[in-house]
Amino acid sequence: MSNPTIVEAHNLTVVYGRKPALWNVDFELPEKQVIGIMGPNGSGKSTLLKSIMGVVEPTSGFTKVYDQELSEVRDRVSYVPQRQDIDWDFPASVWDIVSMGRFQKRGLFKKLTAEDKDIITESLEKVNMLGFSKRQISQLSGGQQQRVFLARAIAQQGDLFLMDEPFAGVDIATEEMIISLLKEMKTAGKTLVIVHHDLHTAQSYFDHLVLLNTRLVASGPTQDVFTDQILTDTYGGKLTTIAKISQELENKEFPIRYK
Amino acid sequence: MNDFYIIFTASLVAINCALMGSFLVMRRMVMIGDAISHAVLPGIFVAYYVSGSTASIPVLIGAALSGILATLMIEWLTAKARLQSDAAIGIAYTLLFAIGIVLISKFGANADLDQQCVLYGEIEYVSLWLQPIVGGLLLPQQAIILAIVCMVLIIAIAIGYRGLFLTTFDPNFALSTGVAVTFWHYFLMSGVSLTTVVSFESVGAILVIAFLSGPPAIAYLLTEDLKKMLILGCLIGISCSIGGYYAAKWLNVSVSGSISTVIGILFLITFVITSVQKSKLDVITS
Repeated sequence: MSNPTIVEAHNLTVVYGRKPALWNVDFELPEKQVIGIMGPNGSGKSTLLKSIMGVVEPTSGFTKVYDQELSEVRDRVSYVPQRQDIDWDFPASVWDIVSMGRFQKRGLFKKLTAEDKDIITESLEKVNMLGFSKRQISQLSGGQQQRVFLARAIAQQGDLFLMDEPFAGVDIATEEMIISLLKEMKTAGKTLVIVHHDLHTAQSYFDHLVLLNTRLVASGPTQDVFTDQILTDTYGGKLTTIAKISQELENKEFPIRYK
Repeated sequence: MNDFYIIFTASLVAINCALMGSFLVMRRMVMIGDAISHAVLPGIFVAYYVSGSTASIPVLIGAALSGILATLMIEWLTAKARLQSDAAIGIAYTLLFAIGIVLISKFGANADLDQQCVLYGEIEYVSLWLQPIVGGLLLPQQAIILAIVCMVLIIAIAIGYRGLFLTTFDPNFALSTGVAVTFWHYFLMSGVSLTTVVSFESVGAILVIAFLSGPPAIAYLLTEDLKKMLILGCLIGISCSIGGYYAAKWLNVSVSGSISTVIGILFLITFVITSVQKSKLDVITS
């Protein structure tokens, strides 16, 4: 059984200046799954999300969501930008940030209703941050900042979530909390597309994987594409070093997480 | 009464600049105010040359147009030529300012346009041009224009607050939800252009930059809420105007220079105090 397609890219190429970030990428992603986008640094993972979300204009090719232009279905898609792209010293509270998730439905000029406030409260509750709603965002830890971003996306009430490195620089408790929340969302019929770094957790987190290295290396169900050959093609020589180190660490029973 | 006119005018400039400057500081683009206040020179000269007078209205229109031209040029240089925004600002405003200088030195030998005045303003003389308003009250012409702009800005921020807040904090997220980020950029830039143009005529370009960056930066150190930062920035600007004016009177020095100095000193004091408090707090929490 294969789920219907929710996101597709065709001949997608994005060039910054003279350097291509994505080159002729083609794939289709299935609905209602947790999908990982992986690849080495600078392989175009963030650019891929940004071009799906219309933040970056593709140089050629196109992407579609629900078989339509993004502008037709924007209210069904939530985007979680990379945490590091944001100035967290901005004078704003946790509540201010999460309420941005309601701006799209309510428009930029109408007051937020009681219903909006309920949704914001609920979203904060889901990520265990309700107690922090008045807290200024610069006083949050990395993990808490990430949860605030997640709450903002939940408050948008979309069906498709595109998340840029939600696990980067977060504590283990937050990572576990986020992953169980994501599984819960998947059960509720949501689709989650996640840019991810950590190969160790890839197999346990994702149903489907997209492996990128400027070009598309592979896209398919995790058990089919998470093979030594494809990973070596994606990461090149770097992976063998990583693999050797983690093998070594495991042999010595070093306390690293290895699922 | 002269004291009041000068302080009143300077305070209005302070409020306008604090409102715009708060957003500019958070967007890391305060120097665009500097760019605009210099780039208006060719516009002022062309308006003067065409209309044949230094009357306020044509000059203001000319200045506002070249201010907006400067922001368009900067945006184009950053987006299309892929220049760093500070390099784009440097190129755009020096070019426009230089064109202004060249035009004045070529065609404006006997023009009543003073390049000094562009830089340092003439706030000491605002009471020379008084205008009667309701109830027989006299106010400086400059102050009336500044007050109108102030009302326009307050209304614009009240209506556009959410758009400005969202696109300043997280432009990528804003784009992903279909918000026209470019529109809000020019919305803000029009306000900045308007503010700079009407302000620098009374206080000069240097004090405009001091007002755009100083009070918002001080307010930023003191508060954790953008709305409070806007209000606090205005209050700090007004206090600096009052303090700076009396300091100038006491020491018999330039009013613009004195106010700028007060802003700078107040920033340093605030910075030291908040840093000490913060390091105390860090000791407690760690």
